[in-house]
Amino acid sequence: MKRAHFIVGVAVAAAVLAVTPFLDRYVAYLVTIVAISSIGALGLNLLTGLCGQISFAQAALMGIGAYTAGNLCNAGLGLFAIPLGGLAAATASVVIGLPALRLRGLYFAIATLAAQFILEYLFKILEPLTHGISGLLIRPPTVLGFAIQDDRAYARLAVALLFLVWSGIGVLRATNLGRSFLVVRENEIVARGMGIDVARTKFWAFLLSGFIAGIAGAMSGIASRLANPEAFSFALSVDYVAMIIVGGQGTLTGPLLGAAFVTLLPEAIQRIGELFNTPSILSALREFAFGMLIILFLIFEPLGLMAVVRKLRLRLTASKPGGKSPAATTEAV
Amino acid sequence: MSIIRALKVSVLAGTLFAAGAFAPGSGSTAVAAQDVSVCLWGTITGPDAILNGMSYGARDYFEYLNQFKGGIAGQKVRTLLLDGRYKLDEELKIYRRCVDQEQAVFVSGWSTGAVKALRDQIAQDQIPFMAQSHSSEVLDPVKLPYIFIPGPTYEQQMVIALRALKQQGGKTVAVMHPDNEYGRGPVNVVRQSGLIEKTGLKLADTIEFPFDTQDLTAQMLRLKSRNPDMVYVQASTPQLLVILRDAAKVGLPAKLFVGNMYNISAAIPEQLGKGAEGFRTIQIYADFGADIPAMKEIDAFRTKNEIAKQDVYYMKGWFQGIVMAKAIENAIAKNGGKIPDDIRSFRKAVRTEMTSLRSLDVGGIVPEANYDTHQGTTLARIAEIRDGRYVPVSDWIDAR
Repeated sequence: MKRAHFIVGVAVAAAVLAVTPFLDRYVAYLVTIVAISSIGALGLNLLTGLCGQISFAQAALMGIGAYTAGNLCNAGLGLFAIPLGGLAAATASVVIGLPALRLRGLYFAIATLAAQFILEYLFKILEPLTHGISGLLIRPPTVLGFAIQDDRAYARLAVALLFLVWSGIGVLRATNLGRSFLVVRENEIVARGMGIDVARTKFWAFLLSGFIAGIAGAMSGIASRLANPEAFSFALSVDYVAMIIVGGQGTLTGPLLGAAFVTLLPEAIQRIGELFNTPSILSALREFAFGMLIILFLIFEPLGLMAVVRKLRLRLTASKPGGKSPAATTEAV
Repeated sequence: MSIIRALKVSVLAGTLFAAGAFAPGSGSTAVAAQDVSVCLWGTITGPDAILNGMSYGARDYFEYLNQFKGGIAGQKVRTLLLDGRYKLDEELKIYRRCVDQEQAVFVSGWSTGAVKALRDQIAQDQIPFMAQSHSSEVLDPVKLPYIFIPGPTYEQQMVIALRALKQQGGKTVAVMHPDNEYGRGPVNVVRQSGLIEKTGLKLADTIEFPFDTQDLTAQMLRLKSRNPDMVYVQASTPQLLVILRDAAKVGLPAKLFVGNMYNISAAIPEQLGKGAEGFRTIQIYADFGADIPAMKEIDAFRTKNEIAKQDVYYMKGWFQGIVMAKAIENAIAKNGGKIPDDIRSFRKAVRTEMTSLRSLDVGGIVPEANYDTHQGTTLARIAEIRDGRYVPVSDWIDAR
């Protein structure tokens, strides 16, 4: 990660954290869900965008994080429940990833799909741990005896976690392991030829991606105070795939843009509907508009929002006297 | 990019991100201190949008008050209906908007899951909340003093059907439900409480099936072998269509089946024709078009406005509108005809008035409303499909 990018990240996170106490609860909740979605999207992006392993089990892994953190919060472990939720999901992710050592591409994607449905089913029947269909009510975590139950506090916590995950992945990309992910994504045979242990690389991708998904799920359960099977269904996994496609696979900041876009678009459409006094009509068109936008992205900008941002930046730079040429400013994916 | 420039860009971006796009109240109408604001959310789009008349009914009642009665206590009611899409995060988001940005004095929400997730929050916010859910898990006047439900719980609806069966001399009952919270939860409560046996009946079988089922022939053959006197179905209309279709395949008549309040749907007689004749269901609210005083108000409203859904669920929503409006009206009256300046005290007063509603005339939609127990009514009757229409075939039965 470039130093300048890191500083931008610190400043954005600091700015958001600084204004959070002044937000009303609704806006604070929006910040929370965008941050949680961004963490989940970064986790999936690590596996799919960086390492090339398509997964449809992101929601189920988040569910494991939520149920684990929920039970641990209820047992009084406070915020320690969040990393422990991540560890539980990381373990499950490695188990799900085992077939990846033999399966590739679409076949592996189908295996993750099966894992999603199996885990969803387990959420429903493992009643002592999950409270079955009705879901697990989660008590607010406590720190030094004080319960964290304010939306602004959740927003701060989620943004802080997002920054840690984002910068962690940024550092990881510059390591040998991070570069190995990219080579495995491009061509496993070439990777082996270069002396990369493909199985070990994939193992780490599953472990880290699962851990991040678990963190997102844990935070999601704590913020909503409920973990139930319907909240971690296949549809959510599809949403996460959409986030990284819209944002830009394999990039560091793209998943954040994708998560914000997918999470806030319905809200934007709702507000536009209210502005023109047609909320019911636009509400019905919301899913349609969402689907259309994703199709348009796939056709016209398959590299996602990050590519749009890059192009805008290039234009701004090129229009200035002495600005850098496009070739000099384009970041490697 | 130099570090200084990076800092400039980042500060600008951060400020825009946090202070601009997410500014409090962005996109919403400014809230005057003296407003009467009611915020509702339903499933305008989503898996159970077939029932969204419930949301339109409540919204239209407040609009009726504005157009025909000058609002409540001379004050127009600002009503906002939002689409929760039956998604937990969406519903949790809307709740916060209703409470904080819209400064609503009464909130009405949709799914059982959302009400459960919000129940501590609702108690903390001290905001009167009308749930669309009939789940017993959100009905607790002591622990959940701000949550109200619009009628008998799902469990009580089942008890009403069991009592009707007992009155007719039946001895055995089978239960069918989908594998989701709405299906499994109430059935588990009834089974574990021993209510079936206490009613003097025997449970012949319990059959769970996938929520999105397309074929239940095998389950119907199993049901046929049990030979129950009644099959109680805790499901929604789409599943019920499959049940009655496949029951007919194996020779089980529709008359054997009794559904809950959400099985009053024109789609059932329309799609199944004679195969639906004799199917019975729990009816809590009068049907749209019934000869009752409330219908005259609805007809008056209809002369100036379009009614999106003309069904029994619209009547339920209209009923909810009546009780919410009455509590608001009483709270204003007790404050000398003025809206309390402080929204918190206004909400508390409305909650107090809600629990004081006794024998409230709701235009015949239900016999009368009592909110001392937070559930409006515990009465329901059995309706049967005859010649393609739902016809009441029993007296009012009290679940208590």
